[in-house]
Amino acid sequence: MNDLGQASANAFELLLSGNNDIWEIISLSFGVSFSAILIATPVALIIAFFLAFFQFPLRRTLISLFNTFMSVPAVIIGLTLYLLLSRSGPLGDLRLLFTSKAMVIGQIMLSFPLLVAMAHATFQAADRRAWETAITLGATPWRAFPTLMYEVRFGLIAAIVAGFGRVIAEIGCSMMVGGNILHSTRNIPTAIALETSKGEFAQGIALGMVLLVLSLSLNAGVSVFQGKGELRT
Amino acid sequence: MSHLITYKNITISLSGKSILNIDQLDVAAHQCTLLTGRNGSGKTTLLKIISGLLKPNTANIHYQGLDMSWKQAKPYIQKDIIYLHQQPYLFDASVSDNIAYGLHRLGESKAVARQKVMHALQWADLSHLAHRSAKELSGGEKQRVALTRARILSPQLLLLDEPTASMDTDAKQQTGLLLQRLKSEGVSIIISSHETHTVKHIADHHLHIKDGQLETIEPSTDSDKVSVLKPSKKQSVT
Ligand SMILES: Nc1ncnc2c1ncn2[C@@H]1O[C@H](COP(=O)(O)OP(=O)(O)OP(=O)(O)O)[C@@H](O)[C@H]1O
Ligand SMILES: [Mg+2]
Repeated sequence: MNDLGQASANAFELLLSGNNDIWEIISLSFGVSFSAILIATPVALIIAFFLAFFQFPLRRTLISLFNTFMSVPAVIIGLTLYLLLSRSGPLGDLRLLFTSKAMVIGQIMLSFPLLVAMAHATFQAADRRAWETAITLGATPWRAFPTLMYEVRFGLIAAIVAGFGRVIAEIGCSMMVGGNILHSTRNIPTAIALETSKGEFAQGIALGMVLLVLSLSLNAGVSVFQGKGELRT
Repeated sequence: MSHLITYKNITISLSGKSILNIDQLDVAAHQCTLLTGRNGSGKTTLLKIISGLLKPNTANIHYQGLDMSWKQAKPYIQKDIIYLHQQPYLFDASVSDNIAYGLHRLGESKAVARQKVMHALQWADLSHLAHRSAKELSGGEKQRVALTRARILSPQLLLLDEPTASMDTDAKQQTGLLLQRLKSEGVSIIISSHETHTVKHIADHHLHIKDGQLETIEPSTDSDKVSVLKPSKKQSVT
């Protein structure tokens, strides 16, 4: 049977011909995930910094909480958010269910613990002298913080890339709160699931290739940045 | 002898263990004080409290005619006192950018800052390193860059934590020279050191931490005490 070969050839054709639907799906995927990471990152970095540099009650508890939340399955987050956003749910009045905004919220919830945990590990390993030096040279904490972030930038970039890698490929949450609506909430993972179930292999494979290349390069990116971070002392 | 700043009733415990319990510490103005004490006696801890980096359990400060708690004094002492780590930390940037770091706070224009950095580099004979990446420097070079980076901010008091530990004779000599220059410019200095020989010739006073308390060691008996403290290899720099 030549189905698979034919489908792959069609997939390439779809991608190269600039098929509108497929590129719309790809750009929606990126739009949603970029927004989620963009919103989650600043808050996550500040929390991670406080967890690493200051002593306060419940600090240890918070750290293990973030580490635990990191492994909550996407579909559970999707379910929780669905219940919150559904008509009869506490946030039903916001009318966010089955919108791309709901997907952004879901991906924020999904990436946040990962971002905090990885950034926390980075700050924890950071040289305390960097912070003290900035402060003793007269920097305010608001200026010392960017200085410190710059000193450990490779670890932080690795955290952000890993966070992006987690959300761009997840399907459970997007499916539940997005609903896979064409032109509105259909992203790469949900489209792959749908097209394949319909027997439309070409589109599924085309999107699959995009996602695969992306995930592989993101993963490579994480290791490159983590490696760079370790080289510096 | 006039005092730049006075610390009273400094106490600190770390992990439940009392580390320091100092009645009074007078820092002599425009002079150099040598601070000695065994490993773990609390030298680093004391210097960090003095510079406002580490919060003590208690401490009262008399500075610029005012009596303050450590917390009230913190903004002033952080502005006027600079602490240098035993192994100074240089930011991941060029030597020039490192030296310029504190100038941003002063709101200097780019041109003025560049001038100042250039002069500072000349002052420390470091001009040839200006564009090198700071992370690649040797320990001695790092130390001198850190001193220059501190000096450019015109601090009142400079705290050096074992500046000459793990340095060869040449590097010690160069660091010693810069310290001498700083002192002659009127900067007050406290140096913690095991290697009392290296810094003895620029030190005017000698304080010793023992059992969490400060002892003043008089110059007359200095040599005896010092030789008791420091039996290892002799290296004099003069
Ligand atoms: N964060 C901390 N938590 C608990 N104990 C600490 C902490 N920092 C320092 N100590 C303890 O405080 C004491 C004084 O330490 P400090 O580093 O000030 O000594 P030091 O005189 O600088 O020693 P060295 O000559 O080795 O540099 C030591 O017993 C050390 O174990
Ligand atoms: Mg020490």
